[in-house]
Amino acid sequence: MAKTEIQTHGLGSGPGAGTAGDAAPAVVLENVSKSFGDHHVLRGVSLTIRRGSITVMLGPSGTGKSVLLRCLVGLLKPDTGRVLVFGEDVAALDETKAKDREKLFAIRRRFGMLFQDGALFDDMTVYDNVAFPMRLHTDLSEAEIRERVIDKLHRVGLKGGEQKFPAELSGGMRKRVAFARAIALEPDIVLCDEPSSGLDPVMSATLDELIMEMHRSLGITFIIISHDTAEAKMVADTIGMLANGHLVAFGPKEEVFREDHPAIHQFFARETQGPIKVV
Amino acid sequence: MKRLIDFLETLGALGAFAWQVFWSTLTSPRYFKETLRMMDVLVRRCIIPVGLAVAPVGAVISLQGIDVFKLFGAERMLSSFLGTAIVREYSPALASVMVAAQAGSSIAARIGTMKVRGQIDALAVMGVDPVRYVVVPGVIACLVVTPLLSVITNFLGIASGWFFAVPIGGVDHGAFMEHLTAQITAADLWVGLGKCALFGLGVGVIAGFLGLRVKHGAASVGKAANDTVVNTIILILLTDYVVSMMLLGMGL
Repeated sequence: MAKTEIQTHGLGSGPGAGTAGDAAPAVVLENVSKSFGDHHVLRGVSLTIRRGSITVMLGPSGTGKSVLLRCLVGLLKPDTGRVLVFGEDVAALDETKAKDREKLFAIRRRFGMLFQDGALFDDMTVYDNVAFPMRLHTDLSEAEIRERVIDKLHRVGLKGGEQKFPAELSGGMRKRVAFARAIALEPDIVLCDEPSSGLDPVMSATLDELIMEMHRSLGITFIIISHDTAEAKMVADTIGMLANGHLVAFGPKEEVFREDHPAIHQFFARETQGPIKVV
Repeated sequence: MKRLIDFLETLGALGAFAWQVFWSTLTSPRYFKETLRMMDVLVRRCIIPVGLAVAPVGAVISLQGIDVFKLFGAERMLSSFLGTAIVREYSPALASVMVAAQAGSSIAARIGTMKVRGQIDALAVMGVDPVRYVVVPGVIACLVVTPLLSVITNFLGIASGWFFAVPIGGVDHGAFMEHLTAQITAADLWVGLGKCALFGLGVGVIAGFLGLRVKHGAASVGKAANDTVVNTIILILLTDYVVSMMLLGMGL
């Protein structure tokens, strides 16, 4: 299987390179590294994501984007470094200890996550999938939950399919239901893992518009990992580029494009020659 | 050597997992609706297979036993043996084995599938502890449903034994009932129910443990379901032997 490798010489990957804006940070990563055996997936990644931003992390497949996302919510523990979410170091919490586990779950409740394939619960209807976090984490009456579920499904353009099961939906519909579930509690941060993968361009653009609409109306911080350059151009206010475990570029979209970073240039121009190598 | 180390590591992990399940059962949050739903599923799924497994055993004991008891002119006492064997041994063991086969495999497969499809991670990211939400309800359901099923199988096993002893074997109904009620004590019933609860607990914990250890794809899910059935049945039969020896030693 082809792998991509990047030449990092001369690229801005040191500490402080990953800072975007001075607003109160939602997430701070300090020198985060993660390996699986001999495979170094993340190598000293440092970045700051401010509240209310839409950050798109780009990069070739297999360069640690999903691992980064999983480290943010404590699904993976980095080997070194700190992962600060609203000031709390998620990486320092030990899930095997009851107190830390409760703390970790409390932090996770501030997140919504759109998984790559939706991760909808197979044995629940669309309605129950979206209602699920509300039933567990709020004291809302069933009537209030119903109102909110319908509202969320309406926002993602799904009306009338509430009683369908995930297996009866198309890929695009499943993703929209998963998005409705991710924003059901109007969380502080929504993580999107490859939101456009497997979707046609029109559906992909529809989902991007949804993200921007949610950002505008609810002020949610979005962290999106993607290799869709059109999506990054459309929704991002901050762009990061991960390649071979290194954060090779990070900053406001305009600034990143203005600097014309070689890896960014190669990625957006779809060129085979450049610092990113297919090996 | 490596196999031994792997086995000991797995045993240690199972012990830690069992403790986590125990702790999660004692502390909030608890998911009562999910627990009741699991109980409902288990009863529906297990009641017919469990009944079909135990009822013939009572019939066979009567069929085989009546001739032996007749040799000693003691056929009136057949029900004493039948009752004790069904209530203390066959009903708990067979009900638990069938729960392991039906419920244990389906719990492991369900959790394994959820793991493979990212639904366990989705729960965790939503701030829901998967052990509390997915495993604990299954464990409690097995713990409660297995003894309940054994009450039904006690009745079915004895009823089928009665049918082959009284109408077919010619044993007097009054004598059958008199020896049955005289022989089966409250201690027998409690021993049977206690064993079922213990076996049910083991099925639930092992199914949850193996389900959550699933890593890749459908084959891994199938292996978890299969391993759950094999391991729990071996465990049930071994534990049944040990517990029976201990209880007999204690005069119970």
